[in-house]
Amino acid sequence: MRLARIALLLLIATAASAATTIPPIAYKHRVLPNGLEVYSVQDRSTPTVAIHVWYRVGSKDDPQGRSGFAHLFEHIMFKSTKNMPAEMMDRLTEDVGGFNNATTFDDSTAYYEVVPSNYLETLLWAEADRMGALTVDEGSFKSERDVVKEEYRYRVLAPPYGKLFYALVEQSFAAHPYKRPGIGSIEDLDAATIADVKAFHSTFYRPDNAVLIVAGDFEQQQLDGWVDKYFTPIARPATEIPRVSVQEPPRTEEKRITEYAANVPFPAVGMTWLTPRARDHADAVPLFVAATILAEGNSSRLQEKLVRGEIAQEAFADADLKEDLGLFGIVAIMGSGKQPAEAEKLIRAELAALAEKPVSAAELEKAKNLILTSALRERETSNGKGFSLGEALILHHDAAFANAGLARVQAVTAADVQRVTKKYLIEGKPVVITYLDESAKPAGGAQ
Amino acid sequence: MKRTVLSLLFAASLSAQVAPPPPAAPREAKLPQPVEKTLANGLRVIVVPKHDIPLVAARLLIKAGGAADPADREGLASLTATVLTQGTKTKSAEQIARDVEALGATLTSDAGWDSTSVNLSVMSSNLTAAMAYVADVARNATFAKDELERERAQAIDSLQVALTEPRPVAGMVASRLIFGDAPYGHNLGGTPVSLGKIGRTDLVQFHATHYRPDNAVLVLAGDVKAEDAFKLAESQFGAWKSSSRRVDESTSRRVAESTSSSKTRRLEDSKPRVVVIDMPESGQAAVVVGRQGIRRTDPAYLTAQVANSVLGAGYSSRLNQEIRIKRGLSYGAGSSFEPRVDVGPFTAGTETKHESAAEVAGIVVGEMSQLSAAAVPEAELTPRKAALIGGFAQSLETTSGIVTRVSSLALYGLPLSDINRYVSGVQAVTAADVQKFAASNLGGKDVNVVVAGDASKFVEPLRKQFGEVEVIKPEELDLSSPTLRVRKAKR
Repeated sequence: MRLARIALLLLIATAASAATTIPPIAYKHRVLPNGLEVYSVQDRSTPTVAIHVWYRVGSKDDPQGRSGFAHLFEHIMFKSTKNMPAEMMDRLTEDVGGFNNATTFDDSTAYYEVVPSNYLETLLWAEADRMGALTVDEGSFKSERDVVKEEYRYRVLAPPYGKLFYALVEQSFAAHPYKRPGIGSIEDLDAATIADVKAFHSTFYRPDNAVLIVAGDFEQQQLDGWVDKYFTPIARPATEIPRVSVQEPPRTEEKRITEYAANVPFPAVGMTWLTPRARDHADAVPLFVAATILAEGNSSRLQEKLVRGEIAQEAFADADLKEDLGLFGIVAIMGSGKQPAEAEKLIRAELAALAEKPVSAAELEKAKNLILTSALRERETSNGKGFSLGEALILHHDAAFANAGLARVQAVTAADVQRVTKKYLIEGKPVVITYLDESAKPAGGAQ
Repeated sequence: MKRTVLSLLFAASLSAQVAPPPPAAPREAKLPQPVEKTLANGLRVIVVPKHDIPLVAARLLIKAGGAADPADREGLASLTATVLTQGTKTKSAEQIARDVEALGATLTSDAGWDSTSVNLSVMSSNLTAAMAYVADVARNATFAKDELERERAQAIDSLQVALTEPRPVAGMVASRLIFGDAPYGHNLGGTPVSLGKIGRTDLVQFHATHYRPDNAVLVLAGDVKAEDAFKLAESQFGAWKSSSRRVDESTSRRVAESTSSSKTRRLEDSKPRVVVIDMPESGQAAVVVGRQGIRRTDPAYLTAQVANSVLGAGYSSRLNQEIRIKRGLSYGAGSSFEPRVDVGPFTAGTETKHESAAEVAGIVVGEMSQLSAAAVPEAELTPRKAALIGGFAQSLETTSGIVTRVSSLALYGLPLSDINRYVSGVQAVTAADVQKFAASNLGGKDVNVVVAGDASKFVEPLRKQFGEVEVIKPEELDLSSPTLRVRKAKR
């Protein structure tokens, strides 16, 4: 059974400033009998093709006591399979002038390759092979686990603010497994076994839990034939796919924490608020625009007040939208001699201003233009188009959002920004982490 | 060290296993074709049209960077570039940021070693409006005192942060070991002390000396027609006059002297050092191995790229194979040549837990030597060349990637047609070329080794491997001195 459908090309976002139109991502969609969803986007301008396989399993699905497991598993997917020895993916990509990588998100895990287009069939075969089964051995499992432990040191322990971002994740959710940082911990990584790997693959790595996206240089009929040939034989298990059902409760009060770490040159403050789900567009899209107004570009409100105002040396604001409730986060790393309390006060004043007074037409348009230009940059490559579609599918449950999302951004009004700022960032309760060097720890005081 | 490469890939091999389907015939890639014109004032304008996405990337390249920093003003080029966008004769820093961002554009400027770049990325419909800001900051920056103070404070703060991290610390120390007191030896961004010495006059003078049309190149790539780009360049930069001052003599003399002296040093004075920066509280150790590399115009440039592709560029290069894939000692290991106007650095490095730092340093040095000890087998050389060519092709898929490639050719005075010769040039490099090149450029003996991390966990095994090891505490470290140590007599 083939269900082909061509996306409507009607949703073309227009930049308010001039006649720039964002070319929509024109994709085709079909579903194989075993449940695998297939999206394809043809672009024959360069002889390369991007192959993405997105699995609907992420860090939120880490087994109990195994934080970091989904990410460790992602690494193991590059080891041996039924028909491929370890690292063969590199032979099929890097060795022929392409590349591969993978990313573990909270809600999904994306595997992707970009290769000269004459290798498309080879890579479809390879992705199908590792979707089928892994045959990892003890030696390469342990060695790769050591690599992930080094990645943990590299990302969390070595950078002076690594532990702040780690703590922000841990402290921001009360119940939802999003509270476990995707990189995990050394102890939990050490506890992982090959048996865990096998169980995880058979539970989550199956055609009805995956999306195949092919973008770039291909001939449609040929692609469809190869997809049928290599993916159709993969059986759809009868078992149900377990899904996280934990509901994050609303925050009833503000939570304040002081975190100490070695080697912190300047203090910092991080604040988070809960956001609606990414696919609750009426509120989520304006929150995304609000984050842009607050911190994107040197003329944004927080950059002007905090960084140009010489309170902080760096400031970020981000609407980290997820499949379930996400986080609106603001982080400021202080400038020399400045205290986190000063930054927090300014941040709160800026949020209050954004909620009280409508943003001007010019400032709103500026934010929209920045978002639009950044979407254009993502669409420069086939790989970027693959990411746009994958994210739309996972977070918005709708590939069409890759195009419609830009139109939704254009439609955001000043009143929308005011409303969501008030609802989520003023009435919502923040988690506030003050991050200080160990030397600031009160003697004998336990935090 | 023996290495095996899976060469049986596309043959049906192991018993129960199925071989992958072989590739089809490749399709030829179309390379971007630059067109150029030089304005009457000497500004060279290069355009690479590419119309698939309504986006343009542009760079105004000034042919002067950190190598031109006076010895007692380390970080001057970098600070000049930072303050450049913070106000002109007619517009304040806030206005510039607001106007540029209203167009959805990003405008940045930063200094490299041999050049300074003012970069623009903008949707094509807003190109004309946005280019006016590139021209305004390049031509009319005022370097106001309060803007300088603000940027200086910011730069010092971010240096303080970098100095707590093993990776940047090891990199800065390696530059000093490789180049001594030659211009490439200092930290590009300066040090907290050197930044403190820079005054407004220094910035104004650096700008007047180097930012001039006959010392600049404007590169545009993306959704713009060549003739429109030339017209735009003429309207925004046509009236830009070169100041009467020629390139500051003291600066040019300094570069010239260092050019000859670095040759000398390379032959006679290259006593390599092994230095440990003791950072007991850091979360991981950083290892950097470095030595002098090549000039960008060296005829062996492509051979160096191929040698490095085998050794340390890309996931499947030898360093990553040995350190990450085989031993699980790091998240990643790699190396690079950074060819410049003068001889640039070669560095190889990785991060690992403190306990394995000495082992990893030994592996890096061993792999460098191995490249000259034995010819690279064809079964390994072919995929490493393919990886290099693939990376080249990928870099030309985006407007900013094209601008970077083309600017680099222009900066080093190389023909733009080199873009068309890259693939065949890489293909022509032989295993014998690589081995010969490695013998004189990648020897494992005359290398500097830097490890930043908890010295107590690796200093003994490091001594066993390398002999003399200098241990420096962060508070004793002076990045402005070739000795790397603060002189205690002063102050």
